[in-house]
Amino acid sequence: MTAVIDTDRLSRRYGDVHAVDDVSISVAEHGIVGLLGRNGAGKTTLMQLLTGQDFPTGGTATVFGERPLENARVLSNVCFVKESQRYPDEFKGRHALKAASLCFPDWDAAFAAELVEEFRVPVDRPIKKMSRGQQSAVGVIVGLASRAPLTFFDEPYLGLDAVARQLFYDRLLADYAEHPRTVVLSTHLIDEVANLLEHVIVIDDGRIVIDEPADELRERGATVIGPAERVEAFVAGREVLHRERLGGTASATIAGRLTPEDRAAARADGLELAPVSLQQLVVRTTGGPALGTETDA
Amino acid sequence: MSTVLTTTPTAPAVTPTEGTTTVDRISKVVRLHLTSTWGLLVLPWIILGSAFAITLAIWAILTASLPPEDGLAAGDGTQFNGGVLSILVYMLVAGVTAISASFPFQLGFGVTRRDFWIGTSVLFLALSAGNAVVLTLLAAIETWTNGWGFGAHMFTAVWFDAGSWLGTWFVFFAVQAYFMFTGALFGTFYMRWRMNGLVVLWIAIGVLTVGAVALLTWTQSWPALGTWFVGLGPVGVAAWSLVPSAVFAGLAWLALRRATPKN
Repeated sequence: MTAVIDTDRLSRRYGDVHAVDDVSISVAEHGIVGLLGRNGAGKTTLMQLLTGQDFPTGGTATVFGERPLENARVLSNVCFVKESQRYPDEFKGRHALKAASLCFPDWDAAFAAELVEEFRVPVDRPIKKMSRGQQSAVGVIVGLASRAPLTFFDEPYLGLDAVARQLFYDRLLADYAEHPRTVVLSTHLIDEVANLLEHVIVIDDGRIVIDEPADELRERGATVIGPAERVEAFVAGREVLHRERLGGTASATIAGRLTPEDRAAARADGLELAPVSLQQLVVRTTGGPALGTETDA
Repeated sequence: MSTVLTTTPTAPAVTPTEGTTTVDRISKVVRLHLTSTWGLLVLPWIILGSAFAITLAIWAILTASLPPEDGLAAGDGTQFNGGVLSILVYMLVAGVTAISASFPFQLGFGVTRRDFWIGTSVLFLALSAGNAVVLTLLAAIETWTNGWGFGAHMFTAVWFDAGSWLGTWFVFFAVQAYFMFTGALFGTFYMRWRMNGLVVLWIAIGVLTVGAVALLTWTQSWPALGTWFVGLGPVGVAAWSLVPSAVFAGLAWLALRRATPKN
């Protein structure tokens, strides 16, 4: 198994701010990785270090076995789609696609044209005059049709409506199946992408707090659903991440792995068990409020 | 879908698709700059064309309203015409935006700083050379048509009158390169150090200018400088201008090599 990304104590400081702090991660070839974290947690800075756009103040970044900084061989295999991508003022949508065809050796123009149709991007309009969603769609199309062996999507969906976001997820998954590559998806719409992710990296305050396969992560907790008093009895003495109540029915999300005995006991009690929401786990791990408050939904 | 994703220790390098040659990458940067031809190939000529049209209109008005002999004298006066400055100033602005807009864009698309700067410099020199060809042709037409029928000068103004067409081409080329690399210097300082960089650059220019003026005044060298300039002629001055142009290009690279394309 080969590592596409490998960092060793990678750090980026700005004065007193540790934007990326001592990060050592390894991402294997072929897979969709979620890079999750709050705004300002260091997601974008980490990706900028991995794509040679920013300079580390400590540690090393290795991409395809080499340093990405000023390395044309590495960078021609990397596509970095970011919400804030700048284009020259006079650029129209089609100019961005033309430029992408020059920059990415595996560019698929037919696929790009198909996506333009699907996302309804007005390619003859100056990018500056496009709506937020249309600008995001241009980035998404560049990221998908570039078919770069390593693709970063940094919050690619701003301004995209739910339909367009779903379209993005669907196309990403379908194209990934046909052309396996490594995709790093940075987002805070965690539950939306949860099912796409095979591996989850959570960064908080510049530090890596979770670096686990998504399946294992989901087993870190469970949601118990059933009659309120039986749910309460079951969760007594456990750490509760989240509670919801609707009439006599309650659901509670608890932290920690359930043993087979726990599961059997729950079933015997007539309780339903569901996997924990990735979002709640991440919120808890990154210092969000404990969601233990009663909510009458 | 495969689920091969786990953290692994350092693995042997993956072989990415073959790296391209330096020439390929430089030409890619040039083509990226010209993806939209509007800013660098079309707009400069619209601006020059407008300046030229206005100039022609003024000549026409003067010619119509002055007695013939005064009209000829007015035509002589146009040898100090500055209409070509319109395209030069525009190319300076184009030099700024070729950095301020295209650097973040191209780095975002995987271009290295080094390739970007070499490609951009090649483009600037090529544009200066190409534009100089057009301007020299216009100068030739101006001569053959006796100043567009008005005995006037725009492309054959004294500053460009080098005595030969090749000399004229060289003057146009060097002057444009000077303006473009000046623009690039400001663009790169902004990219690297933002507003602070520009402020420092302006202060440095101010200090150097005042220092030079003071030096020339105290040593009473103004007449000597004047004589030197006149003695050099347009071609000599243009040749000397390549020195600051090269210095600006070097400073621009020093600024750019550690710049980050943040907005």
